[in-house]
Amino acid sequence: MLDAFSRAVVSADSKGAPIGTAELASLRKYVSDANKRIDATLAITQNVSCIAADAVSGMVCENTGLTQPGGHCYPTRRMAACLRDGEIILRYVSYALLAGDPSVLDDRCLNGLKETYLALGVPLANAVRAVEIMKIATVAIMTETNTGRKMFDGINSGSGAECKDIASEAASYFDRVIAALS
Amino acid sequence: MKSAVTTVIASADAAGRFPSISDIESVKGSFDRANARLEAAEKLATNIDRFTSKALDYVYGLHSYEQANKDKCARDINHYLRLINYCLVTGGTGPLDEWGIAGMREVIRAQLLPTIAYVEAFTFIRDNLDIPSDMGQQAAAEFKNLLDYLINALA
Repeated sequence: MLDAFSRAVVSADSKGAPIGTAELASLRKYVSDANKRIDATLAITQNVSCIAADAVSGMVCENTGLTQPGGHCYPTRRMAACLRDGEIILRYVSYALLAGDPSVLDDRCLNGLKETYLALGVPLANAVRAVEIMKIATVAIMTETNTGRKMFDGINSGSGAECKDIASEAASYFDRVIAALS
Repeated sequence: MKSAVTTVIASADAAGRFPSISDIESVKGSFDRANARLEAAEKLATNIDRFTSKALDYVYGLHSYEQANKDKCARDINHYLRLINYCLVTGGTGPLDEWGIAGMREVIRAQLLPTIAYVEAFTFIRDNLDIPSDMGQQAAAEFKNLLDYLINALA
């Protein structure tokens, strides 16, 4: 597992050179944006059930057959597995966001996920749709463009507009999940 | 690769939980120290050849080691300083542990190398660090911590 710092180290080591001023510039930016990164991570961790439940419900609403007998989310045991997986994916996205590097998501969550779903008969298109909704919801919460509670009232970095860059980084991690399942 | 952030994430993952408030506090703590660490890394990168050659001259002044091995000795000191530069960047001892210390005793013993020479070289660098012309107080403290860590592993 790597983070933004160890990613720089691994690439410098392959050249056998120490990390100098040029490479340090982007790491300094990572450090100076630390509060935004932490707020964005909190935006996920404090809204997990909301994001995952809405995404799975939304996906089911678009395909009502899923909860009918014979559907993939029938009986409730399978629907519950679906909610659980949504939370697991969110958890790894939150790790990647905190680390500033997708390796933890790739190694521990996405590696073999598609094969597992195929083997279990999980419909990939529906899984992808749920992840898409989670992405939209997460970005909306981070940038405070959601309806309902605004995330950053009174904490570190101030406003959702300032978290735009971090939110698009988070969106890129969801895109990785979608790419891995497609 | 072990660093301040990955250690926290690994333990959260082992417990299957989201990053908790205390996880985030400890990540934040490492960010607060990051400026000193990055300054130390930057200054070390700029001065790495100077530190190496001064330490080398010091060690060769103490003992009558073979002159033929001098460039290899310089290469090794430079290598360890580079790993310390990486540790300063990651905020953990991962690079030194994985690339510098694991297997080190076996290699040194097999090659019949004098570990004391390395210990003396790194002690010399640690004790002759010029504050603030080499690096600032906080940065020097971070650098010296890692030099001590390496010296203890070698000794």
